[in-house]
Amino acid sequence: MTFPRSLLAELHKCLTLPAVWAGAAVAMLGSIALTVLNATTSRSALASGHPEMLADSSPFETAFAAMPLGTVGAVVIGVVVMGSEYTANSPDAGGGRQIGTTLTAVPRRIGLLLAKAGAVVVLVVGIAAVTLPTTVLIARLLMGDLAVEHVAVDAAVTRCLGGTLYWTLTGLIALAITTLTRSGVVPLIVLVMNSSLVSFSLLLTNVTPLAHWLPDMAGRRLFDGPYTLEGGLDAGPGALVMAGWTVALLAVAALVLRRRDA
Amino acid sequence: MRRALAAELDKLRTLPIVLLTVLGTVLAGAVLGAALAASAVDGGWDVDAVDATLQAVPFVQAGFVLLGVLPVAHEYAGSQIRTSLAAVPDRSLLLVAKTAATLLVACVTAVGTVAATLAAAWVVLDRAAGDSSGGAGSDGGPGEVVRSAAGAAGYLVLIAMLALAVALLLRHLAPALVGTLALVLVVSPLLAMRTDVARWLPDRAAQQLYDASDTVLTPGTGALVALGWVVAIGAVGGARLVRRDA
Repeated sequence: MTFPRSLLAELHKCLTLPAVWAGAAVAMLGSIALTVLNATTSRSALASGHPEMLADSSPFETAFAAMPLGTVGAVVIGVVVMGSEYTANSPDAGGGRQIGTTLTAVPRRIGLLLAKAGAVVVLVVGIAAVTLPTTVLIARLLMGDLAVEHVAVDAAVTRCLGGTLYWTLTGLIALAITTLTRSGVVPLIVLVMNSSLVSFSLLLTNVTPLAHWLPDMAGRRLFDGPYTLEGGLDAGPGALVMAGWTVALLAVAALVLRRRDA
Repeated sequence: MRRALAAELDKLRTLPIVLLTVLGTVLAGAVLGAALAASAVDGGWDVDAVDATLQAVPFVQAGFVLLGVLPVAHEYAGSQIRTSLAAVPDRSLLLVAKTAATLLVACVTAVGTVAATLAAAWVVLDRAAGDSSGGAGSDGGPGEVVRSAAGAAGYLVLIAMLALAVALLLRHLAPALVGTLALVLVVSPLLAMRTDVARWLPDRAAQQLYDASDTVLTPGTGALVALGWVVAIGAVGGARLVRRDA
């Protein structure tokens, strides 16, 4: 099968997986709900003349506070795109696994992994393209007349694109790790934790500055959340380091997928 | 009831991933306690073993989420639920037995985890203090230590029960795991940074058990709010088990 056709097949499979829709819902509806709640609270704080109660009064920052939910969505999508292949069917239906059928249809395993990576990129970029502008728009509509926007337009666009890149790379890392573990439990726990404030990588930075080179820590300047802490890599080098991790993990995953029994 | 409980405990004991989760959580607690204490010593912060243990709690709670989700999720992973219902046709009894078995395992794991974390942090701090001066003991008296440790263990058990309730509702491993983890680790800290409503979320309320910093909730009422969440979600999930198709 050629690449475009296997990519279409993978996308088709993704769109029939309820878990992918759930991940998309977490990223989109979750972010929107969080933004509405945050913006409403910020608005009442501003209206009652207590801007000092807010971490940041800019509508853009209020919208971007919901960023980690999108990361969780990207992790879910990256994990289930590969994890679903290895989930056993109901014993009543023979207890088979989808990976057998998939490899019969697409025998070239590296091509298969590339198609899956392509599907993850398409889905996550699509979700980001809808979610980020929508949340920023909602925050502006809810707070715009009271709050002063201090994030310039070009910085806002850069951070939207950076956030999209961060989500995409996170989804690809999730895909690569799930290919190695063949089960979703461990990658889900580790990656969901690391996309939160209770992050192992964040904890490791206390122990060694080398932890700033871990993928999630390196890439965090791409969207520069409200929990910015000192040190670490800048956006450009950080993005390169995170992309390097992604490529390396995908390469290891491709090698293992190619050499191992399905 | 006693036999149904014994059967549920037997299922948990023979499921390798449950044993791995329990051991992994206790081990993670010990490693985190030691690491947090060591980084506090390096940073020169004034941290006692109890502080280091309480800082480790948000991390080890992931193990308890998994522990709460597994007893239900593995029933639905294959057709085991049908075997279970053939053995225990009274669904409410099955629900009670499963909840009790999970509660028991979660309690044992919580006590083990908190004890391991406390011990590891204490050893590291004690060794560091031996190099300089004085003892590593806690700032508070022994009563304070026991209260904080019991609060942390209680919090972890509540999180496991919350995960069990969510799993009863959603039935499958991945959605229940992601849903609970996202609520506890992502949504609640993000909301807490921006609004006061977050204090009514189950994990925020239960946190009062070991970190009574809230202005409205006390440890007692906080635990009650969290328990209310567990009962409410569990009631819907339980009704799904009792009333609907397996």
